[in-house]
Amino acid sequence: MIISSDSAKPIYVQIAEWIETEILNGNLKENDKVYSQYKLAEMFTINPATAAKGLNMLHEEKILYNKRGLGKFVTAEARMIITDKRKNRVLKGMLQEAALEAERLEVNEEELINMLHTIFKERKGDTK
Amino acid sequence: MNVIECEKLTKKRRQLTALQDLSFSIEENTITGLIGRNGAGKTTLLKILAGFWRPSSGKVEVFKEDPFQNLFISANAIYVDDQMRYSSRLTLSEILTEAERFYENWDAELANRLFDYFSFHPRQAHHHLSKGKMSTFNMIIGLASRCALTMFDEPTTGMDAGVRKDFYRALLKDYIANPRTIIISSHHLEEIEDLLEDVLLLDEGKKYFHLPMDELKEYAVGISGRTEVVMQWMANKEVIHNEQVGNNATYAIVKNDYFSIDQAKQLGMEVSPVSASDLCVHLTSRSKGGIESVFK
Repeated sequence: MIISSDSAKPIYVQIAEWIETEILNGNLKENDKVYSQYKLAEMFTINPATAAKGLNMLHEEKILYNKRGLGKFVTAEARMIITDKRKNRVLKGMLQEAALEAERLEVNEEELINMLHTIFKERKGDTK
Repeated sequence: MNVIECEKLTKKRRQLTALQDLSFSIEENTITGLIGRNGAGKTTLLKILAGFWRPSSGKVEVFKEDPFQNLFISANAIYVDDQMRYSSRLTLSEILTEAERFYENWDAELANRLFDYFSFHPRQAHHHLSKGKMSTFNMIIGLASRCALTMFDEPTTGMDAGVRKDFYRALLKDYIANPRTIIISSHHLEEIEDLLEDVLLLDEGKKYFHLPMDELKEYAVGISGRTEVVMQWMANKEVIHNEQVGNNATYAIVKNDYFSIDQAKQLGMEVSPVSASDLCVHLTSRSKGGIESVFK
């Protein structure tokens, strides 16, 4: 991953998302130890305090747990929490964008929902 | 623990007030970016912290001591800039030897490795180095001295892009291995922002703010849309910058509060992030119109 300073996302969020993706990919499994703040800082050339903030965020969300003196580890529920979170956030965001674009184009609610129905129908047809 | 404490620090030089009522503190083992326009007082502040200059009034303490001409500070704090002068009789390798005698924590191995990596010649004279090479050599002194307080004033002057990148990487790696308090002044915030924990922004000798880097990134957002919509929406907001783009569109930078941003999106305006570096430039710009206002 390349950390982008131009991104709307603060760097600690980018770090947290990178670790989440490592968990989703299976590169980090339940009870695996995650990189320390110093390791992350070195990997991405960022301040260790920023890396720590990313790790703490995941700890607060119960994706990671602490072992005193040993570091942070992946919880059993990590994958589920991440999937849930991304569903809510990413999918909802896309739908909001769609609603906004529909307004700009003066497409009403019913029309938009009909379009969505059609897409689902077409996809079902594809998989048959 | 605070390594630096300043209270109402003021420095006057003849008619000019270089620093005015500056109050802040810097915590141990952090990397702080000292940012500001030309003449904002960055160098004056660093030279006072290093004990070269005496403040006109106010309090300054470094390691709980008055830094001015203080031997303890000289041994434990280093100030690196592009004006560093050494005896012209010393070769580069002799300068390193002398530095080793002076600085208790001197890391000779790091100094020699960097010296070789950047292809210096041991018998070269310091004053014959090119601008970029001189900055690179001074950077080696700054890193290898391993002073508890290390201050770099525009350390990358004249360095090419490759060397700048190497320097930032070397600084971070050595900081992780040997934590210490570091202050870097730079005009290139975009190059150093990832390294920083805090940012101290000076504007005409005064503190504009002292914030964690993460907060600075979320301090403001860019908004663009049709001029009348943007203008109306901005009425009760804190506007940092605004400019006309094309015929009937306006781009503005406003202080971030999450509620109004959602509202802006609902109204069909585009919301974009503002880089920390652009933000600092706009915050300390003398007129809201920028250079454009000169050409009207």
